[in-house]
Amino acid sequence: MEKATTPSGRSPWFWAGNYLASSAIIVVLKLTDAIPAPVAMILFLGAMGLLIPLVRAGERRNCANPVIIRYNRRFLIASFGYVLGLGIAIAVWNSYKLTSTMVFVIALLPTLPTFAMIWAMGRYLVEETDEYLRYRMVRAAIMSLGMVLAIGIFWGFLEMFELVPHIWAWWVLPVWAGGLGLAQLWMKVRGE
Amino acid sequence: MNNRLKVLRAERSWSQQDLADRLGVSRQSVNAIETGRYDPSLPLAFTIADLFGLPIEAIFLRDGDSE
Repeated sequence: MEKATTPSGRSPWFWAGNYLASSAIIVVLKLTDAIPAPVAMILFLGAMGLLIPLVRAGERRNCANPVIIRYNRRFLIASFGYVLGLGIAIAVWNSYKLTSTMVFVIALLPTLPTFAMIWAMGRYLVEETDEYLRYRMVRAAIMSLGMVLAIGIFWGFLEMFELVPHIWAWWVLPVWAGGLGLAQLWMKVRGE
Repeated sequence: MNNRLKVLRAERSWSQQDLADRLGVSRQSVNAIETGRYDPSLPLAFTIADLFGLPIEAIFLRDGDSE
């Protein structure tokens, strides 16, 4: 079996570990107020640069088919757009007194890239020609959707009775994406 | 659903990857079908039957039928 490496000899796990470690350090620095929000955002954009060699290293693996490669690239571009859009939106929000129309516009900056992420996931299902891989992804997506609905409803009532703090609705996407990973892990553990 | 895919593949000395390449699917798909974890669609079942030159019912068996 061909070894999964980049020209520099690094595996995808190396880049994934570096990305996660960098992100964790930035989050800790921000939470401890060691760096201001704009600096954290710039550093996070830099850390996201590690996703490029991660995706390339993944593409060299035997299991990477052209559909997955396209999906990874689309998702990566959307992720960059999301971080950039969010950074600009927060900076503008903090610096200017905005009209409702302008608030609507800056809310679109991080929103549109997330629409692109959802589109990329949809395109993967349309373009995937392997029916078993498509079946697994659809199954994982439905399992994750069930998880999001269950957590959302439970949290909503806990929030209504003032037991937990309010959380923003955009959390549905990261929670769903996390659930997608958990569902795939669950199927792998069960040997499905 | 039971199937004779593993036997038919072994008779031809094909690996799972060889069969996957001939069918235009992933090796995971072949493995899932062979082990009965996934029942293929009718179009894929016909493709498998065509590849081995056998009718579908000679490859895929009803639950309870022996190989």
